Amino acid sequence: MSTISLLTLILMILMILVGGKSGFTSFLSVVFNFLILFAAVILITGGISAIGVTFFAGVCILAITIFMGNKNETSTNTAFVATLIVMVIMLLLIVPLDYFAQIKGFSNEQSEEIEAFNLLVGANFETILISTTVLSTLGAIAEAAVAISSGLEELSEQNPGITIAEIFKSGRTIGFQIMGMTFNTLFFGMFGGDLALFILLYKLNANFGYYLNSKIFVGECMAVLYSAVAVILVIWITTYLMGRKINQKRKGTDF
Amino acid sequence: MLKLLLIVLSGLILYIFASNDAFLYKQPVGKVENVSVKSVSKTKDTFNNQDKITVQEVTFKILNGKYRNKIVKLRNTYSRSGGLDQEYKVGNQVFLTIKKHHGKVNSSISHYKRDVCLVMLLWLVIVLLYATMKLNGLKTLLSVAVNFVVFLIFVQLDVMLNLTHFFWLFAAAAFIFTILSLWLVIGVNKQWFVTCASVVSGTVIALLIGLIAMSVTNGKGVHYEALDYATQSPKQLFLAATVIGLLGTVMDAATDIVSTLFEMKRTDEKISEGQLFKSGMAVGRSIMGPLINVLLMIFFAETFTMAILYFKTGNSIAYTFEWTMALGIVQTLVSGIGVTLVIPCASFLSAKVLGGAQDVND
Repeated sequence: MSTISLLTLILMILMILVGGKSGFTSFLSVVFNFLILFAAVILITGGISAIGVTFFAGVCILAITIFMGNKNETSTNTAFVATLIVMVIMLLLIVPLDYFAQIKGFSNEQSEEIEAFNLLVGANFETILISTTVLSTLGAIAEAAVAISSGLEELSEQNPGITIAEIFKSGRTIGFQIMGMTFNTLFFGMFGGDLALFILLYKLNANFGYYLNSKIFVGECMAVLYSAVAVILVIWITTYLMGRKINQKRKGTDF
Repeated sequence: MLKLLLIVLSGLILYIFASNDAFLYKQPVGKVENVSVKSVSKTKDTFNNQDKITVQEVTFKILNGKYRNKIVKLRNTYSRSGGLDQEYKVGNQVFLTIKKHHGKVNSSISHYKRDVCLVMLLWLVIVLLYATMKLNGLKTLLSVAVNFVVFLIFVQLDVMLNLTHFFWLFAAAAFIFTILSLWLVIGVNKQWFVTCASVVSGTVIALLIGLIAMSVTNGKGVHYEALDYATQSPKQLFLAATVIGLLGTVMDAATDIVSTLFEMKRTDEKISEGQLFKSGMAVGRSIMGPLINVLLMIFFAETFTMAILYFKTGNSIAYTFEWTMALGIVQTLVSGIGVTLVIPCASFLSAKVLGGAQDVND
């Protein structure tokens, strides 16, 4: 048995023990997302436009992450719409900025791993990078959108008299609590992954000016910053959409 | 209105400054004045991948240092796929290496100037954070900055001490990260203590399970040597990276549960220990799936470029998976186990601490 199969088995058992049926559904959502990502890599290798594949895979991943394991329809629908809007905005932001930053492909620091390869493989590394960047933000925005929309739904149900201004205010308060922790998750996730890189850069005695301009460091920093932008945007948009929805619902019942 | 104007103005000033900051660098920076294509050739490798190679002659005007205003002509070769090279266009700024050797000046292209993009994106994040939450938003940024500095200090310690078992150094770093970040978010009180205790227990148990699973299966299918940039024992580096990655999500889950339970106790003082435990588990169930997906997306998306290179050069799916994705998947799985375990830990500890207590803050 390989290490990965054993760990997957342990994770599945633990998730079922802790979460019961919904734990199993959550486990399935992770497996499905993995399969979609894997299929996306194969499709891009096959020469299909990386941005097209990313968009399609992104919609599927958002749908799976948001709808599997959440039953409340109003809040999940809003969360889904909000994340789709954010994904489109992020594409519009990432495409030009990644072009100007030229952080595609591989860096000099990676030369040892890629020296065995002929790099003239006819792939478009620029669109692959865009795909990587967009996909890596999706998990965080899905989580934030669900947390805010379900929090606001709960709030409006418990206090039917709450005003729209108060809903927007609570949305920001909930958003603030989530954001602090989400930033930590993203930060530790990404910089934890780059631990070896930081040690290498330190050993190379790279100066600050080199850090600020090197492909690998700028690329990793921009990935963290993009995620931060995406999470902030999703907080705004989810709060706004949720407020509008609650408002409409009230008008419908009042008159 | 005035605020909006100030924000736009600050962005504009920052952009103009960053585009003209060549004088801050010691290394010569050249601005592309003119580009002409010298030759174009088509290539085809053994896997039938077609590519196009272009050689361009680039004329640089040097912007700083003792060679200021000098003109340099250099050749640049770039491919259409651009794995390790890039095309230069008029107006681009590029770092150059200029060396004097036996009276002859040798110059070459070093790397592209990227600081403008990085600075502008950082500006956008700060503006958005400030617009959303005023000064509180900047506090969030402070927490990340403090952790980053601690992280760099430990990297420096690692290089200086050159320990054989340097994993423990980063385990200690992880412990400090937990205490610091939670202190900045919650402040020092009972809630902070309970959250820290749950995070530490969840992380330690998950790591132990991961280590046992790896030794039982003899690490089959996991190639530590596939770790990028490894300059020290790759196994320990991987474990250290896993602990740090694991910590972020476990902290996220623990904070959600503990803060919800403390809030419940505040609104209803008579709530029982059993009820608290049950509610904690309910909160945990709803966040478990999305949290594990966050990590999956981060770890998996990072392997995209490498995986496509492997596939394009005729490697099988199984081989590509083992050498490019397996490490990221192990990290995701161990983190997932950590998130799942911290749910009962945090629920149990909060319930025990709050259950008999009369007051939340005693």
